[in-house]
Amino acid sequence: MFEVPSLSDLNVGATLPVTLLALGACVLLVVDLFIPRERKSITAWLTAIGIGVSLVFSLLSLSGAVEFGSGELAFSDMYRADRLTDTINVAALITALLGVMVAYDYLERTRLQRGEYYILLMFSAAGAMLMGAANDLVIVFIALELLSIPLYILSGFRRPQEASEESAMKYFLLGAFASGFLIYGIALIYGATGTTNLPEVWDAVAGVVAEDSAAKFLVMIGAGLVLAGLGFKVAAVPFHMWTPDVYQGAPTPVVAYMSVAAKIGGFAALVRVFGMGLSTFVLESGAPAAWQDTIWLVAVLTMLLGNVVAIVQSDLKRLLAYSTIAHAGYILIAVAAAGTAGLEDTAAQAVVIYLIAYAFTNAGAFAVITAMEKDDASNTSLDALRGLASRCPWLAAAMAVFMLSLTGIPLTAGFVGKWFVFKVALQADLVAAAVVGVLTSAVSAYYYLRVVWMMYFEEGEGDAATPPALAWAIGVAAVGTLVLGALPYLLSDMAREITLAFGG
Amino acid sequence: MFGPGESSTIIECTANTTCTTLHAIGTSLLLFIVLLTGFAYMTLWERRLIAWFQARIGPNRAGPAGLLQPVADGIKLIFKEDVTPRNAERVIFWLAPLIKMVPTILVVAVIPFGPPITVPWFDGKWYRMTQGLTDPNIGVLWILGITSIGIYGIVLAGWASNNKYAVLGGLRSSAQMISYELSMGLAVVVPVLLAGSMRVGDIINAQNNPPILGWYVFQNPLAAAILFIALLAEVNRAPFDMPEAEQELTAGYHTEYSGMKFALFYLAEYIGMITVSLIGAAFYLGGYHFIWVDRFPLLGPLVFAVKVFLLLSGMVWIRATLPRIRYDRLMMLGWKVMLPLAMAAVAWTAVAVFLAEQVGKELTAVFAIIALVIFFAGAQWWLSRAGRKTPLEPGAGRIETVSLSEQARGR
Amino acid sequence: MLSEYAPIAALLVISVGMGILILFISRIFGPFRPTARKLAPYESGMEPFGPAIRRIPVKFYRVAVLFILFDIEVIFFLPWAVVFRDLGSYGLVTMGVFFFVLTVGFIYEWKVGGLEWE
Repeated sequence: MFEVPSLSDLNVGATLPVTLLALGACVLLVVDLFIPRERKSITAWLTAIGIGVSLVFSLLSLSGAVEFGSGELAFSDMYRADRLTDTINVAALITALLGVMVAYDYLERTRLQRGEYYILLMFSAAGAMLMGAANDLVIVFIALELLSIPLYILSGFRRPQEASEESAMKYFLLGAFASGFLIYGIALIYGATGTTNLPEVWDAVAGVVAEDSAAKFLVMIGAGLVLAGLGFKVAAVPFHMWTPDVYQGAPTPVVAYMSVAAKIGGFAALVRVFGMGLSTFVLESGAPAAWQDTIWLVAVLTMLLGNVVAIVQSDLKRLLAYSTIAHAGYILIAVAAAGTAGLEDTAAQAVVIYLIAYAFTNAGAFAVITAMEKDDASNTSLDALRGLASRCPWLAAAMAVFMLSLTGIPLTAGFVGKWFVFKVALQADLVAAAVVGVLTSAVSAYYYLRVVWMMYFEEGEGDAATPPALAWAIGVAAVGTLVLGALPYLLSDMAREITLAFGG
Repeated sequence: MFGPGESSTIIECTANTTCTTLHAIGTSLLLFIVLLTGFAYMTLWERRLIAWFQARIGPNRAGPAGLLQPVADGIKLIFKEDVTPRNAERVIFWLAPLIKMVPTILVVAVIPFGPPITVPWFDGKWYRMTQGLTDPNIGVLWILGITSIGIYGIVLAGWASNNKYAVLGGLRSSAQMISYELSMGLAVVVPVLLAGSMRVGDIINAQNNPPILGWYVFQNPLAAAILFIALLAEVNRAPFDMPEAEQELTAGYHTEYSGMKFALFYLAEYIGMITVSLIGAAFYLGGYHFIWVDRFPLLGPLVFAVKVFLLLSGMVWIRATLPRIRYDRLMMLGWKVMLPLAMAAVAWTAVAVFLAEQVGKELTAVFAIIALVIFFAGAQWWLSRAGRKTPLEPGAGRIETVSLSEQARGR
Repeated sequence: MLSEYAPIAALLVISVGMGILILFISRIFGPFRPTARKLAPYESGMEPFGPAIRRIPVKFYRVAVLFILFDIEVIFFLPWAVVFRDLGSYGLVTMGVFFFVLTVGFIYEWKVGGLEWE
């Protein structure tokens, strides 16, 4: 007979941020039904409050001031509430908050204002938070679905417009495929190890490798399929094909949220599964994990493709789409570095630092595009930037900050992220990857700085409207980028105690 | 009495291959014959009973008191011409009645008709076997699953007929059936909660605790009512027979069927009625338990048959009394009334069982009494609202009804 | 344990066999005189027009998808119901949360009009 757990075994206290967010979303779903169409701003405010409450709890947990719940594990060892979880929670919640702020005015002026947008956003954020807290492969899958399915719906939010519907269909179909790959990989790993619990997988994989049994191949193929599934989410090559089309077609506030949240969730899961679960998968003793080569190769391809194709783009949204592919490549280097024994913690820290820096930067960049975009979704091409500085100086300045940060110029958050990623790459002896990373960053300077050039030094009709919520969002993102760039110890201190080791 | 003495050996039938095969084949044949005869005389009983309700006599010409009427009907159907419409999907057209009929019969397989009996055999030993085909420990799951397969037969029949009305009829029928299947599933979860097992035999035996008062219909009358109504809708039986109503959709999914294929549909429908009565009686009316069934196991099937007969008569009574429900109101009933009530019933039983476990078994009786009071009060309130005038929707024209005699007088 | 299902196999064979027999009885015993009128689709006496299967209205698909959602809920209720007594308060609360989420969905569905037929 099984042992019946008691309610306190659930340790809901440790899961408070995500539980409160999900509960808030459920309640808001019902409350929103009774809010009339003209007053949907109430829903937006309630969403912001819900996310804020969850953010307060995660910050309290992060700072160590309050200890919620008892111990690190919750939900029968399926949820791990450690430092990595707290930082991922904060990242996801900040992104969600920025997403709400960017979306509100856009929805007003396109007359798409529906409460469901905010509720879907909350559910998606809960999914991203769960992916960071996963202690079990099944939770990775469930969280992936919770993260993705609202995004499919949000991509198609501008319903009569064909581009939006098309992007939703593409995202959904390809995402369903990717989920299939992921679950197949999980099934194979389960078949090889007999468990889905990540610490137990870690143990079992060590045993499989030691005995040199045929289960090794199951683990290898399983790991590859999991990489495929999660790689789709973070837009790694060769699973990146959906990114440009979906980013271009979906409503811009959705892309602002989606580009960051999907990466936060995807990379958190990659770190958990590969850094924590499969780090013992070494085929010769003393060598790094067997998957390290594959992942850094994928990283190199991703960086190359993202940066090179971005050069020829003329539409801002597509340009930024390829730039997200490139940035996924940079973060993947850090994930690859987690394969070297002893560097898992540093690699996880680098990933988290990059993700937070990227959150502010990318959300801000898409927020600026939202400001530029006209009601009929036109005016997002590069030409629309011409002369923006003369009409909207603050907006142009913010965009300049975001572009510099994406390039990786010092004093911006993007530089801090790249610094830590390349540092851990060199520590892991992935010199080729680091070199490619630096070179492609230099290449990327071309198209990022071209944006700055067009805003400041070209004559044109560039114009934008910044209603209050959007202005606040852009302001927060720009300030965040600059502050995190100028004071890098903020990020490194927060990340310092992240460890993938599990005691409990 | 007539039973194994102390010196006889009793062997479980499932342990012996010969016994298993003989029992399987024998009981299947017996069950099939009983079902077919039941179907045949059910048609007669229905026509007589409806006739009685309508103050006339039903068929009483063929044989004494009309007892050979089903035989006459059968012979007529055998000699009818079998028309397959042109452009119909031949294979599916022919197979669809089979797909509807076979699952309906298979559902009965997991319901035991009486307590296990010990039967003597020629080798001097006594064999202990179930009365009924088999009693697997996932009986409830089997019932739910196999019932769903029967829906395929209806949809395929409609679709393969190459007839607009048949297609629509088949789709509407299947939409109706799946909508009510939700409430049925939830209403079936309640006996499983109360008995703690999915084995139909366990559920029946658990209702024997206080012999008649332990029936689950007293524990959760709402769930029982929901189950009976949902089962009516599952077999497309009045008042839920809109998809096959002749005035509406020209007989719906079986428009193009003639001869014995039509007979198979007819057979499937009546056997379905018998099946669902069996299910309802097993889950809520104590199955084969009454008073002396424990001592005389052979009384079990008789008791069960009486309960099934009562339920069948109830179904015929409902058909004779209630008018057909319009399709959109039917769907509204299934989703907006039955489903929430079924959810509430499950929640009630879960809480009741939980509290009874914590506090003591007497609490079950208390909960049962409260449930009965709420049920009857609620039913009283709901039925008292029938016949009230619903407000007209804005913009609806007023229709004046003029009686013909007034019109004549006015002229 | 597999022998528990042997009677079901027997019943399956018997019912399918008898069914096929019944299906062909009419072919054997009944007349076979097809005429154009008899073979045409029946539309209450009118000439049938248009193809039989046109676009199936989307409301049927909607009902089917909603059915799947709530049927999965019912499926999850069944094993829980079997072990419910042993699980104590843990079982009640955790299933209650599951039930709550589905109820929220149901309320949303109702108010948004997803349960309307026409």
